[in-house]
Amino acid sequence: MAEFGFTGIAALVIASSFWVVTARNLVHAAVALMGTLFGVAGLYVYLYADFLAATQVIIYVGGILVLIIFGVMLTQRISSAVLLQTHMPNRPLAGVVVFFLFMGLTSLLFRTPWHEGEQVMPESTVTIIGTSLLTKYLLHFEVASVLLLVALLGAAYLSRREDG
Amino acid sequence: MSNFDSLAYFLPELALTVLIVSLVLASVLLKSDRDRIVWIISLAGLAVTAVLLAIQPATDQSIFMGALAVDPYSRFFKWIFLVATAVIIIASPYTKQLDGSQRHEYYLFLIAVMFGLFLMASSLDLIIVYLSIEIVSIGSFILAGFLKDDPRSNESSLKYVIYGALSSGVMLYGLSLLFGMAGSTNVFEVQAALVVLPEKAHLTLAVALLLILVGFGYKISMVPFHFWTPDVYEGAPTTITAYLSVAPKAAGFALALRILGTAFGSTGDLNIGDWSPVPGLAFGSVIAIFAALTMTVGNFLAIQQNSVKRLLAYSSIAHAGYMLMAAVILNGQAFGAIMFYLAIYLCMNLGAFLVTIFVHNRFGYDEIDDWKGFGFQAPLIAVPMGIFLFSLTGLPPTAGFIGKVYLFSVLIEAGQYWWLALVGILNSVVSLYYYARIIKVMFLDGEPTDETVTGHPVMTGLILMLTVPVLLFGIYWTPLMGAVQSSLKFFTQGM
Repeated sequence: MAEFGFTGIAALVIASSFWVVTARNLVHAAVALMGTLFGVAGLYVYLYADFLAATQVIIYVGGILVLIIFGVMLTQRISSAVLLQTHMPNRPLAGVVVFFLFMGLTSLLFRTPWHEGEQVMPESTVTIIGTSLLTKYLLHFEVASVLLLVALLGAAYLSRREDG
Repeated sequence: MSNFDSLAYFLPELALTVLIVSLVLASVLLKSDRDRIVWIISLAGLAVTAVLLAIQPATDQSIFMGALAVDPYSRFFKWIFLVATAVIIIASPYTKQLDGSQRHEYYLFLIAVMFGLFLMASSLDLIIVYLSIEIVSIGSFILAGFLKDDPRSNESSLKYVIYGALSSGVMLYGLSLLFGMAGSTNVFEVQAALVVLPEKAHLTLAVALLLILVGFGYKISMVPFHFWTPDVYEGAPTTITAYLSVAPKAAGFALALRILGTAFGSTGDLNIGDWSPVPGLAFGSVIAIFAALTMTVGNFLAIQQNSVKRLLAYSSIAHAGYMLMAAVILNGQAFGAIMFYLAIYLCMNLGAFLVTIFVHNRFGYDEIDDWKGFGFQAPLIAVPMGIFLFSLTGLPPTAGFIGKVYLFSVLIEAGQYWWLALVGILNSVVSLYYYARIIKVMFLDGEPTDETVTGHPVMTGLILMLTVPVLLFGIYWTPLMGAVQSSLKFFTQGM
């Protein structure tokens, strides 16, 4: 049963992300992204990362995706724009490269002896995440906030119109 | 060390974050003369950072529970970033290209990039590695596209974003492979896991190294991940080009040497003289191929350039190749040679770009042939340019020569990679052709005139100041080598 559920979620993630990159309409791509993000949240559930799954749904599906759709709709001309790249002379070669890359990386996945952590199911992951964010990963958290601040200021600078 | 105690060792970085926030506030609150006041605040902030860095106790330990190292090695690079940022900030008000844009925000992003560079030089944790590279990248994207009305600046920024996003993604995949095999993001724990890896995993290890090299190689513009370099360098404001060609490159080397050297080293201890990679990894050969490719491609493309900015862009690729040569061996001597070269490269490359800015300010052109007779018009600027170019070529008696001798001697003493040293020497000969071409145009073409051109004294002063180390360390380099040697001390214990 669990195996079946996992296959279903994985198929959803792959199919919807395929749709995201092939969709010619930006709004369709944004909607397809929702399937991907939900699917990833499902994968987190399978990894016993319940808190992460909930945040994924709230932040990505509920927040970022809605923002993207708003952005697309409020930007003039872009919502009806057709994304179609016609000039791709390197396509066959790129296809060959990507195929071999895919096969190579997939075979690595199966032949590598991966590190195995402790196989215990924690009572609640929230405590663990909270503690690590305030101890071992405190600096990481703060540095990420500086990164976001810089990105925010930069976006504001680049998108602002300079007329006084 | 616990997070609270770590703050005492994190003061320079804290000063930079305070500076970032105060620059944001100043930009919002000030009504008039914003560019000038923000400029003064930035320089004052840098001075405070320099003082805090100078009085920082000379220890080697890890702070924030193993996330960052405070050691002489990172401190050496932090001084390089400080000098580079200070020179660029001082020169910026005197750069005509930036007139009409909001300079006060430009300083803010420069400081933010510098904060990222500080973290790059001291990170011991794969997540911090990624975050610090991203801070530097995002800041650089904005700075490259800072001239919003100039389509070439827009193009430069966009190309930078696309290449940057791709290489970050590839690098993250490589880092995730490492994490998958080691189960930790701490470099010492990664190293401990990698040495005992069964033979089955060696291929994965090699793939992980290659993927991570994509990210690091992008930062130091290593061939074949260099495609963004000429376009970004050409389109970005020249001050930013100068900055990008020096500071993030030095940080890329600092980060790559520490992380690759530790995680992929057989002992994890960089302080021992001899270094060997973890079993099953042909580390030296991989780097050797990249080094040979990088310098050859950089030099041969530089020959064909007519724009001084593009020429310097390609030549900066070639210089990354020279430094990579020493990274093949990665013993103490190699670390010293790379750090020594970076310190000199900082002076000569910044100097050459400042002269380019000077010429652009005065005449508004950038093609080599337009520099005709410049040697007669502005000898005070053209002679330093000649010195920078000779030093970039590696001719005695300049510091560039000494730097190259150290780089080559690493390879020759190791014996095994003599072919790479040969490639390097041939490349230096090739580079003489295009560097000497600028000198020839400046001094031999064109008519002598009595008309002399002067620029702003600040620019002239900066250029002359940068020639001092280039000449001095060419004749008497013991002090610099001494500083490098005493900086060759790494934090090496886990946690």
